[in-house]
Amino acid sequence: MREKFIYKARNSTVKIEENKITAFEKKDLDDYSYRVLRDGYVGAYYCREKIDDDEGYRRAEENLRFKRPYKFELETGVRYRDQTEKVLTDSELMALAKEALEHINNKHPEYILSGSLSVCRTKQGQVNDKGLDLWNSDCTVNSGFSFKHKDSKDIFDGYFGLGQRDFKPGKLYDMTENFLGNYSTRADVPGEIIVQMPYYGLLDMLYGCLNGENIALGTSLLSGRIGEKIFSEDFTLLHDVSDGEAWHTRFFDREGVTLPGDKLAYIENGVLLRGYADKKTAEKYGIEHTGSAYCSFNDIPENGFVNLRIKQSGRTVKELLDGRLSVVPVAYGGGGFNEKGDYTMPVRLAYLSDGERFLERLPEFTLVSNMFDMFGKDFIGVGSDYPIFNDKSVLVRLKTSVQ
Amino acid sequence: MYNFPKNLFTDVRIERHSFMDFSIKDGEATRSGKYDENGAFIKIFDGEMQYTTCTNDLQNIQREIDNLAALAKENKDIYSDPVIKNFGDSKAEILKYDGDEDIRKISPEQAEALVRGYIDSCYDSRVTEIKSCCAGYSAQHTIKEYYSSKGASVKQDMQRCKVYMSFDFSVKDTPSSVWKTLQGMTFDSLLNREKEITLERDRYLDYARNAVDVAPGEYTCVLAPSVTALFTHESFGHKSESDYMMNDKTLQQEWEMGKKVGSEKVTICDNGLLDNNGYVPFDDEGNRAEATYLIKNGVLTGRLHDSKSATALGEKVTGNSRSQSYEYSPMVRMTNTFMEKGSDSPEDIIKGVKDGIYVYGVNYGTGCGTFTMQPYLCYRIRDGKIAEPVRVNVITGSVFKALFDIDAVGDDFEIFDAFTCGKGGQTVHVSTGGATIRVKSLTVN
Repeated sequence: MREKFIYKARNSTVKIEENKITAFEKKDLDDYSYRVLRDGYVGAYYCREKIDDDEGYRRAEENLRFKRPYKFELETGVRYRDQTEKVLTDSELMALAKEALEHINNKHPEYILSGSLSVCRTKQGQVNDKGLDLWNSDCTVNSGFSFKHKDSKDIFDGYFGLGQRDFKPGKLYDMTENFLGNYSTRADVPGEIIVQMPYYGLLDMLYGCLNGENIALGTSLLSGRIGEKIFSEDFTLLHDVSDGEAWHTRFFDREGVTLPGDKLAYIENGVLLRGYADKKTAEKYGIEHTGSAYCSFNDIPENGFVNLRIKQSGRTVKELLDGRLSVVPVAYGGGGFNEKGDYTMPVRLAYLSDGERFLERLPEFTLVSNMFDMFGKDFIGVGSDYPIFNDKSVLVRLKTSVQ
Repeated sequence: MYNFPKNLFTDVRIERHSFMDFSIKDGEATRSGKYDENGAFIKIFDGEMQYTTCTNDLQNIQREIDNLAALAKENKDIYSDPVIKNFGDSKAEILKYDGDEDIRKISPEQAEALVRGYIDSCYDSRVTEIKSCCAGYSAQHTIKEYYSSKGASVKQDMQRCKVYMSFDFSVKDTPSSVWKTLQGMTFDSLLNREKEITLERDRYLDYARNAVDVAPGEYTCVLAPSVTALFTHESFGHKSESDYMMNDKTLQQEWEMGKKVGSEKVTICDNGLLDNNGYVPFDDEGNRAEATYLIKNGVLTGRLHDSKSATALGEKVTGNSRSQSYEYSPMVRMTNTFMEKGSDSPEDIIKGVKDGIYVYGVNYGTGCGTFTMQPYLCYRIRDGKIAEPVRVNVITGSVFKALFDIDAVGDDFEIFDAFTCGKGGQTVHVSTGGATIRVKSLTVN
């Protein structure tokens, strides 16, 4: 049996360096993985240059000599998903970049900005001899800027970015105004800290803990707890590749598996339901197969394709705050979770916010919590709206430590 | 070789990479294979804008040059442009790894035997707290060519290989992991180093069994050589990359040459000519690498440049223009960066601490005005002796203060190759080096 993975990426980027457009970059790259399955092994051949399919499969067949084990049946099914809303031409991208830069430079001449605007188009496919024919296409315009006040002694002070399938410059200007227009104000760190942030970074620990193999081996903090209520009643966590902000993802895993509604819950109303597993992990440990295979184009599938999303509440960020103010970390890093699930994160730049707009800038501080508190007693919810980052925001109570 | 368009500056970087991977997890092969990847990066500069593209079709580089030239504006004075004047025009061929030590000659069977040998020696099934064990080998050989309309013609090679092991533990129902990577430039450099892995395994297991949470606060910290290496890279190395300050008067004043920026014991150097992970004899603008002293005895003496930043600041290029691969434009990056050794013995450095933290190992760090390091293994120092292991989540400090707070530098200098550095969306291979040092005060959480 034969199978092929395809990944095509077309990028055009306008680079901005210290408030000037300095470069225009084009990148058109294709990746192919040809795979031949025989007698419980898979031979894989990865290449970037376009070659004839017969030659690709011939080279994959040669690589059966590496004896990579794979004994599972190939999948079937046909589906095409195109998430493209609008495609900017190169000249439209350049015009957008010039307009955006002029606007920001005029409004905020006291800041040094570096970054880029780019159009990213991807097409991902998986086809095989059994008739599998799955394709996902996407196109986004992404902008990202690091900024620095001209009087600052640091190499940069913060950053902001906006990605949209149908890019609205007004949203970028609004974001710029919020980040730069409030940078020179000052406030003290409040006594009660309700953090408001895109939550993807907070899910790192859960990503490892939900690995079905780790749960089975006893190397997850969630080992032995399936069926237990581990987090807040309001906390539901799903693998969700239908999510609107999941740019350039796929609705199929690298074993060609799709899920009903493109979703699967791992934690529902605080109760741990399952860990994630590809076919091999599921068989080895006698656990549920969840369509979670990712794969190097040069090798056999491994466990790990999950696109974790916290279920949104039915209330806006402002409604969840209920009159309280939030703290929005903007530049942070260097910390994370330790083996006990304790979380420590130095925050270089954060703003006080009413949930929709920044009010004042805060001094540096360090956030501390624990995974079970963060998603348990201290979890408030994920807003139904998209203020500040044009993305989902979680609200969670955290504490501060010494700085 | 190529028909470079008139009145424009053009350069072409061609890269040929060969990769090999083999890994085993809990007795089963999880990776096994070899592949090659060839590509080219093409750039045209007209004095105002640069236009770039990359391709895997090495037969059609001329077509890509012509397409980019159509976007640019002709500039009759392009070779008078001070940035272009700073681009290299050398002709050189430095192929060090095409002989007996060429890692492309290593067979999959040799790689598998190496990995299985490490597992046999380092995995101890009697230790019931080890729940999972993974080991692997990976190697990369690269040949880079650089050609420009200024006449540069450079061909150079580089290779690196590593063997790694990781152990997943569950100790008193708390899961944790430790891994150790041994990296070198030749396959032979990976042989017979099992003890380095078993020592790390046993040291971490002792930590997992006995560590107590640290009380957050300000501590005198003694940094082991590998931690000093990361500290050097994060705390000061990134500030020396001068593409951050080309038109930034505040930073130019803050980091003025000759200014005292640290203790007299601090000397920091970057050198792309060393046979280490950041070896780049010629950079991605065709300029020769060199030893650049960034700080000498606490005084700022240099910074890292590409052609553009050197022009902007009126300083000379240092051969630090680097990209991750042919997919990317180069920018100013470190190569092999290290704090030079001092004269203190590590034992005396620890003896001088009444109550502090010995930082043995760190996972990663970040570098801005406030730098961070995330340790995976620390000990308390009490009355000049290393005491119990402590669980530390993050160490932070201000670069403007920490370099002055270094009051001892050891004589146990080492360079560590298993490092990569991220900046601007690109990851490059670097090495970092240092000896045991003592910092009077850092914030420990």
